[in-house]
Amino acid sequence: MIRIAAAGDLHVGADSEGTLRPALMEIAEDADAFLLAGDLTKAGLEEEAHVLANEVEGIGVPMVAVLGNHDLHSDQADRVRGRLEDAGVVVLEGETHIVHLPGASLGVAGVRGFGGGFAGASATEFGEPEMKRFVRVTIDAASALRAGLDRLTTDVRVALLHYAPVRDTLHGEPPEIYPFLGSYLLAEAVDTAGCDLVLHGHAHRGTEWGITPGGVPVRNVAQPVIRRAFAVYTLDPEAAVARSGSSA
Amino acid sequence: MTDAPGPYREESLRQALATDPRVMEQELDVSIAGDRVVISGTVPTEDRRAAVTEVARERFPDLQVDNRTIVPTLPASGGEERVT
Repeated sequence: MIRIAAAGDLHVGADSEGTLRPALMEIAEDADAFLLAGDLTKAGLEEEAHVLANEVEGIGVPMVAVLGNHDLHSDQADRVRGRLEDAGVVVLEGETHIVHLPGASLGVAGVRGFGGGFAGASATEFGEPEMKRFVRVTIDAASALRAGLDRLTTDVRVALLHYAPVRDTLHGEPPEIYPFLGSYLLAEAVDTAGCDLVLHGHAHRGTEWGITPGGVPVRNVAQPVIRRAFAVYTLDPEAAVARSGSSA
Repeated sequence: MTDAPGPYREESLRQALATDPRVMEQELDVSIAGDRVVISGTVPTEDRRAAVTEVARERFPDLQVDNRTIVPTLPASGGEERVT
């Protein structure tokens, strides 16, 4: 079994020192890898990334992350990313990463994603340049996600996002803001390429459990939702390979 | 000149809580009734919870601030879910 710990929306600030590390120091007993679903910092400041780096450095499991909207707020994303990578966190944006574990391989395709809404009530790439740019960001993210998942030939494949791919995990949020919380295009990419699990954050008032129209489990791991430092999901590599083979 | 109607005042505080560097929480609920403003939701630290009150008092010095935000304690995983 592959055990994946996951959390998002940590919103680490200068005032967060010591708030996560006690729980994370035990993570290697529970999990084989730690995936972080964006909004790792409060305002996207390098000094906040420095605090987070000190919280996670040396916790004993591979760490893979995507950034969220908070992490981009101060236009220091490169420095945030660099500081996290110095602490051993692999930060993905349209890229993939493979974690080689004893007896199985875990592939992660990571994109931040973006908004736009869900089938039947979604934005279209039409009209004002501003609207077209907005929708294009999501189209490009979904395209990168699909390409990343297509490249992965690992035993288990996980899509790591910040924005939500389905409505299910948004229940509890005001429906009016769904278009700002995610896009069906991300789920379409997952269902087209195939995948074993989708992890996302961003929706603090949502719910943990969901599924794509194609049957891929989706989990909203925003800390205000999971109400713990991290959630742990186990996946059977043999079941994943069998499913991949049957859908080919 | 009269005070803005309630929904505008509520939204102005919600926007402030989302963008003020001391707080930056986008999912806090704000409601104003009479001379009282109630703020609820979760924030990650006690410092940010205190900042919620500061920002609200600065914006509405004439209102009582009822800060009902909570700082959740986050235990380690607490079990696992078998997905496949």
